[in-house]
Amino acid sequence: MFVTNIIKEFYDCISGKRVLVLVHSDLDAICSGKILQALFRADHILYTLCPVLTLSDLLTAVKSHKEQISSIILINCGGTLDLVEFLELPPHIKVFLADTHRPLHVCNIYSDDQIRILGQLDDDEEVPAFGDVFRDDETSESEEEDEDGVSRISESRLEKQRERRLWEQKRNKLLFDYSQFSYFAGSTATLMFELAWKLSKDTSDLLWLAIVSLSGEQLCSIREQHKLALCAADLNTHVARLHHTNHTDTTEPAADTITFQKDVQLSLYRHWSLVESMRHSPLTATSLKLWTHKGEKKMFELLAELGLPLTECRQLFCGMDVKLRSELPTLLEGKADKYGLGGLVTPSFSRSHVFHSRCSASDFAHAALALLEPPSTDGLSMSHAFLDASDCLNGSTVFAKGIASARKQLEAVYRQMQTFLDMNQVISAGPFLYATVLQGSPLAAFMSGPHVLGALGRFTLGAHVSASRNKKARSLPLVLTTPDSSQPQDWCLVCGIPPLADTSHRNFFGKAFEQAVSKTQSRAQLEFFDSHVIRLHVEDRSKFFDALISLLS
Amino acid sequence: MLGDKAFSLIQELDRSQHGTLPPFNEDAVRQALEEIDSLFQQNVADINHLAEDDALVAGIHLRHAALERNKRCLLAYLYNRLERLRTMRWQLGSVLPSDVRTNLCEPELEWFAQYSSTVARYMRSLGDGQGLDLTVDLKPPKNLYIEVRCLQDYGEFELEEGEVVLLSKDSTHFLPMEHCQHLIRQGVLQHVK
Repeated sequence: MFVTNIIKEFYDCISGKRVLVLVHSDLDAICSGKILQALFRADHILYTLCPVLTLSDLLTAVKSHKEQISSIILINCGGTLDLVEFLELPPHIKVFLADTHRPLHVCNIYSDDQIRILGQLDDDEEVPAFGDVFRDDETSESEEEDEDGVSRISESRLEKQRERRLWEQKRNKLLFDYSQFSYFAGSTATLMFELAWKLSKDTSDLLWLAIVSLSGEQLCSIREQHKLALCAADLNTHVARLHHTNHTDTTEPAADTITFQKDVQLSLYRHWSLVESMRHSPLTATSLKLWTHKGEKKMFELLAELGLPLTECRQLFCGMDVKLRSELPTLLEGKADKYGLGGLVTPSFSRSHVFHSRCSASDFAHAALALLEPPSTDGLSMSHAFLDASDCLNGSTVFAKGIASARKQLEAVYRQMQTFLDMNQVISAGPFLYATVLQGSPLAAFMSGPHVLGALGRFTLGAHVSASRNKKARSLPLVLTTPDSSQPQDWCLVCGIPPLADTSHRNFFGKAFEQAVSKTQSRAQLEFFDSHVIRLHVEDRSKFFDALISLLS
Repeated sequence: MLGDKAFSLIQELDRSQHGTLPPFNEDAVRQALEEIDSLFQQNVADINHLAEDDALVAGIHLRHAALERNKRCLLAYLYNRLERLRTMRWQLGSVLPSDVRTNLCEPELEWFAQYSSTVARYMRSLGDGQGLDLTVDLKPPKNLYIEVRCLQDYGEFELEEGEVVLLSKDSTHFLPMEHCQHLIRQGVLQHVK
């Protein structure tokens, strides 16, 4: 059931009790978790917060806490499962669900009271009607029993069975259509910030968390551009409101300001040199083809045309001439169209915090995402990485560490992409392209989680499309496999990336993987909440791919 | 030189790490006491001859000053050790860890036992006969609840109201401060600022 009044039906229900908060290990969930924590701190609501990455994590966490707790809050996990059945919930436990993963399971949507879904459906989302999916079967069954006693097959019973079969067919088709594509709805952090706002507990720190989560969505490009722009505009009104109330009575310069202004969309450029940052940003790298000699020359040409000396561009951005730094967005914007770099300069959020230099929201998102999926050589556990990423958002010393690892990760992704293109490892299988990160390559250690796999996949796909002469390339999806970091000998991760031409960002691979696995009886673990990433046994890879090809063609 | 031994005691105490208690230096204390004794004997002898020889006055003054200084150093040594012992009572409770116990001398142990029982008696008498543990919250807490992070798999932990919390590794909790303080000291939980 959807919650319409979030304060009355959610917040008032949990206050005064101890709650269990289960947070999926992704940036949006971390930000939402932190906002909730701030609210709970203010209202003295006792909580226990555990990170979860896979379905089995969720199950064990709920099982071990089930005895002591009466309400559970799930953040970005579990919406796509039939929760009551999967978690074997006793009826006194209430579950509050805030999940961006779509489609939500119909059983959760039509649950009476036990499962409460925070947030609303978007206008373009449709859910099968209740009558089409559920049916009161008890009466018909009891009738059947009666008739068994008579042991006579009446015509009306046959008619009923036929009707029932038809209904079941229709139901299966409806459910298939409904769950065929997996996609993401609005960020949970925004929802939580709005809750804080309704409780009059919104501060600029909480707002910043919502903003970081939004820019994380932008980086992972999991939602349509225009929806993201609308959300950004919404958040900007909050920025204006909070700053207006903060600074009317003080004459001092603001200690903590968030601004929404035109900024260059280059990865981490404030913490890197301009040349390096351009090379590792997907947008500039793919449209200038920076992995080729020609592309490199083109980039230098662009820099020359902007009037930026190469020596300046090769040193750290903070060491560049102040005048050049401040002019950079306007300079780049003027030349962007000529080099096909539309969308390079767009409005985005940045924050300057007392004595720290200005940081953009995407820097924070980069840092947190990199900490969330550390290279497997570091040997950190998932929950440790989760805590690191969550500390990094406080802007502490962990943030600097996050920036450093984000740079390393971007370099690894770039080098892997270059290897794919140089060695012609992006192979067309007909209905889709596929590429494999070789086992034992030093870069494989970095490709350890769903986010970085997605980033690599999109980067590779973009680069492949811009390099390929084949016009069909834009409409082909990509399947990426990489050795799983924990057991590289036996298991690999498989990740599906929707085609570039598709702007709705809906991913059909989740369902396709599921069907291919069940058809071939491959050994696979469909463990991730992001259903387009699965773990597959290495030996079953070829038969799995054969099934996938026949399924998609 | 006169007074060296006593001064070395002060130096020893000063150089030891703050908050720890070095072993009671019985040797040096005894030597300082012997020095005081011999100085006093010499002075007594000299005073008897004072009527015959006026020049002895300066020597008597010098020895007396040295004697006084030794006494001051010894008292300072003992007093500062007691001060440290007293802070330990408030920090560690009435039972001292064995490594501290071995460093104490007999009178110090006796003093500690008496001080402990005095403090305990006082704390029992507070709060309308209910008793109040003064050793917790030496600084007034800003919040009744704190955010803690669990560093190891501890298992179930029961709060005073009877609620049971499962402490598993890397989970974050928001709990009443008084209950988790000893777990923080044990290193099971970490306070998140």
